[in-house]
Amino acid sequence: MLRFILKRLLIIIPMALIVVSVTWALVRFAPGTFYSSEKQLPAAVEANIRKKYGLDKPLIEQYLMMMGNITCRTKAADETTTTGLQFSIGSANFKCFDFGDSLKYEGQSVNEILWRTVPVSATLGILAYLLALAIGITAGTIAALRQNTAIDYSSMAISMLGISMPNFVLGPILVLIFSLYLYWFPPARWDGVLGVSNLVLPVLTLSAVYAAYIARLTRAGMLEVLRSDYIRTARAKGLSEWHVVTRHALRGGLMPVISFTGPALAQLLAGTVVVEKIFALPGMGNVFIQSIFNRDEPLTLGVVAFLSIITLLFNLLVDIGYAFLDPRIRYD
Amino acid sequence: MRGSIIFKIQLAALILLSLVLAGCMTSAKSRYFGKTSPPNANVLRYISGSEPESLDPQIGTGQPEARVYMALYEGLVEYDPKTMEPRPELATNWEISPDAVEYLFHLRKDAKWSNGDPITANDFVFSFRRGFAPETASRNANLGYYIKYAEPYNNHSVFMKGPDGNFYIAKDFAPEAENGAAVAPDKATPIGTETETSKMLRAPAKLTLNGDTFKRAREIQGNEKLKGVFKFNARDFKNPIAFTGKVINGKDGLSQFLRENLSKEALEHCIQGASCDDAHKQVLADGLNKLMESGIYDEQRFAGVTLSKDSQTLLANLAKENKKRADEAKAIDDDIAQTDDAAKKEEKAKLKKKQIANLFYLNRFLLEDVFKDDLAAADLITVEAKDIGVEAIDDYTLRITLTQPAPYFMSLLPHQFFRLVPQKAIEKFGKNWVRPENIVTCGPFKVKTHRPYDTLEVVRDPNYWDAATVKLDEIDFYPLEENTTMLNLYKSGSVDALYNHTVPASWVAEVSRYTDEYLKHPEVAMEYYSIASKKPPMDNVYVRKAFSRAVDREAIAKFRGTVTPLLDFTPEGIFPAYEEARKKIYEEARVKRGMSPEEWTHRNDFNPEKACALMAEAGYKVTKGEGGRCTVENFPVEKINITYNTLESNRQIAEMIQSQWKQNLGITVPLKNMEWKTFLPYRSGVQYEGFTRNAWSGDYMDPFTFLNLFYSEQNDGATGWHDQKYDDMLDNANKTLDPQKRFELLAQAELYVMDQQIVIPLQTQSTNWIKKPYVKGMYPNPGTLFPWKFVYIERDTAKWDQDVANIMKAE
Repeated sequence: MLRFILKRLLIIIPMALIVVSVTWALVRFAPGTFYSSEKQLPAAVEANIRKKYGLDKPLIEQYLMMMGNITCRTKAADETTTTGLQFSIGSANFKCFDFGDSLKYEGQSVNEILWRTVPVSATLGILAYLLALAIGITAGTIAALRQNTAIDYSSMAISMLGISMPNFVLGPILVLIFSLYLYWFPPARWDGVLGVSNLVLPVLTLSAVYAAYIARLTRAGMLEVLRSDYIRTARAKGLSEWHVVTRHALRGGLMPVISFTGPALAQLLAGTVVVEKIFALPGMGNVFIQSIFNRDEPLTLGVVAFLSIITLLFNLLVDIGYAFLDPRIRYD
Repeated sequence: MRGSIIFKIQLAALILLSLVLAGCMTSAKSRYFGKTSPPNANVLRYISGSEPESLDPQIGTGQPEARVYMALYEGLVEYDPKTMEPRPELATNWEISPDAVEYLFHLRKDAKWSNGDPITANDFVFSFRRGFAPETASRNANLGYYIKYAEPYNNHSVFMKGPDGNFYIAKDFAPEAENGAAVAPDKATPIGTETETSKMLRAPAKLTLNGDTFKRAREIQGNEKLKGVFKFNARDFKNPIAFTGKVINGKDGLSQFLRENLSKEALEHCIQGASCDDAHKQVLADGLNKLMESGIYDEQRFAGVTLSKDSQTLLANLAKENKKRADEAKAIDDDIAQTDDAAKKEEKAKLKKKQIANLFYLNRFLLEDVFKDDLAAADLITVEAKDIGVEAIDDYTLRITLTQPAPYFMSLLPHQFFRLVPQKAIEKFGKNWVRPENIVTCGPFKVKTHRPYDTLEVVRDPNYWDAATVKLDEIDFYPLEENTTMLNLYKSGSVDALYNHTVPASWVAEVSRYTDEYLKHPEVAMEYYSIASKKPPMDNVYVRKAFSRAVDREAIAKFRGTVTPLLDFTPEGIFPAYEEARKKIYEEARVKRGMSPEEWTHRNDFNPEKACALMAEAGYKVTKGEGGRCTVENFPVEKINITYNTLESNRQIAEMIQSQWKQNLGITVPLKNMEWKTFLPYRSGVQYEGFTRNAWSGDYMDPFTFLNLFYSEQNDGATGWHDQKYDDMLDNANKTLDPQKRFELLAQAELYVMDQQIVIPLQTQSTNWIKKPYVKGMYPNPGTLFPWKFVYIERDTAKWDQDVANIMKAE
């Protein structure tokens, strides 16, 4: 098991570097620059900008510099940057994981932008996913246990609605009812991790589709497990129904939910652009999309590197989760 | 069973919907849009547009930044809250020299930075110099290019000293055609105290050359007078004996080359010293000049020669450049070989560029490097910060000297680029000076917290010189771009005012009923379609006019609900004095062209019949249809399209225009949309064919900011059109000191360019935003920019704003 985890962790590094390199090439060869705007710049002004940001250097040099920044490189004597991990071995100074400065937002480093925006997206994503798990698993289990009854039909119908209603429709409806009609919650903006009233609507909006999905996955998984032999054995042993469901059935029945959790959580942590836009939240999804529109290369690369690592890590966690939940799975 | 559940869901949905509708109904009945009560604290919550690029006023370029900068920084002058004309701020008053070249500002003595330091004229000198410094890489620097030597400083140019130690003067080298254009009169009348700096600045403009050796070489190559300066002459041989000695005894390639190509007789005479007179020296010089023309550059020739590092780089670049040129030339040769058309052959041959090795100045550079001690080097002196025309005469007097008369220079000065930045903080913290913990400001407010993408909180600065006037305790700027989200926030009472263009078209009908809140006033901005006027079939002025006259601008304006139709290029209702002058010029033109007033008024407007006639005049086959409409039979529609950047509102307008052209001319122009940053180079490089969507917001309050779009080859109007006559008309206008006369000359230029119809003007934009009635002192001025110290929150409902359509006239 430990060997498996180590091997997978090591694979993450080259994978992430490849993703970043490909992204770099895509951003670099996309038309337009971070400084292009409605107003055309005199050639001299443009030359000044290119020089300031090192864009006048050969491409390969720029690529190596970028790779050095995001992994590790020796620090030049005249560099004053304090971002990233810095250490010295003997007289040599090293600097690691520094994604550089945003091109669009002068004076802000990509690292600090990530530090600031990730918690927002993470709070939102984790809360939404917890809510979705609570609603989805409960609804799915009950639906499975009461298969083909009114409860089953209605919960599945609502979940179908949840899946098919995009959050850019649900969000504004919730805002209309709870913010503009009832004045219960603010219609947008962020008020810190503890600003609960600002969190309610976005979390609800975001969790809806996941709750619906989880409910359907749970129901399907539970139906299959409830018909299996070991459940019949458990019931025959005279265990209470509660015991049978929570101890034995759920463990097997949640396997589909677990495999869904990896990508779903990664996606949620990455920020969900639409919800962040509707509710004007300073999360990573928003920053990511803006950075692409702005051609803010360091910022785009920083977010992509972060996301690829997170996605790969969560997939690993899911694989480990399998082994714990299903005694039949071994990674040796 | 199943049916009844679905029924229940439907019922629930219905109830939900009716609730929503009821919500809308109740809000429609009330006097105000949503929850309307002043915030408890004395704080204005304002949505300022996208996240500011930086809190450094010399870096941020857009309006969202300008709004924030107006709270944090001040300049010599500030925008008037209503008209946006410059009004005194850190400068209490100013004097302008009669030729409008020198501006003398008297500064207030009580102004302080947010850290308590006094603000002096030296702060302005520092700020201006930093703004133009190439390292700052400000994207707005060209706004200040009128300031003397600001442009050469910004683009790394060099001055040049002659052998007599004096600087060369620009006008001595001006090509004949440009003589007299854009050069300041020699005897500017001095205002203020005479100083060494002012003497230097008032002296005739020094010659500036490109800082880059290659570009400089091309510059010299293209100017016969300049070439003259770089020619060798007898007095360049400071030490002819040493020179000839090196040439004769040198083992390296260059010496050998010179030995073979210079006059043997002259070399022999000079090695003997005594018989080396000026005549012989001149023979040597002539030989060198000849070599310079033909090119002495050859890598092998320089083998074994010790060159300075600069020269080595130069040679390396030269080799690269030559290879590139050779490849290009070969490609052109191949092209020529393939075509049979003689005219095309000639055209292609013209494309062949000269081998750069032949460049005159480069050869001189190399020779000078090798024979450093024997040939007088051209003295090149980089233009420095201290050279630019900004001078502190004393702590509270500032003088600005321009390159040419620019009567509208004052209206540029409230722009963010000309605001003060703190020298000490910048020198101490570098680019991190804008962080909240380091920042020093000079405006009515100072930074409290900055959480990017979330909020920028600024609080009243007690050190501000006019703190007594500042009414708000705090302003919270929310960076937001989603119009629906910000209207939600507004309606729920979480923000007090929005920025311009924030009410989406679908909401205008609803929101504009709140007449105490909705602000729709003309804006110093317009929208137009650029035409690729040099590409067929749009290179025909009749075709361009036909397309323009087949656009029903009234219908578009009616659809948009917020804009007014526009037939000229400068927006309507923004520059009243200019429009007055233009009326006069147009009347003169009307009489000259023998048109009736009726004909003149309708000479450009929507008229399908005239559009069809124009198409016929352009030589197309036109079949008449109903109501003056027609079908143009043989129009090469495959050669044109309408290109716009992907945005719902752009698509709607493009589709409307497409259908109007289809209806009126029978031409269906294809649509093409592009992502913004991809679109920008495509448009500015005139890679599009036919039409492209374009818009412009004025940088300053003068019609020149619009007319300038077609000035020179810079091509901001993205039409590919350039006309020296138009440039001269604008230059002449800008040299005219009498404002009324200047406007008349500008109007003539506008008439001239609109007769060419290189663009299709569509509309003057309107400000189109909304604010709570309790917010006072915010006026819908043409740029939607507010001097924040006058803004306050009125708690007495009786004094709240009413009927804001007349807000500019009131008070």
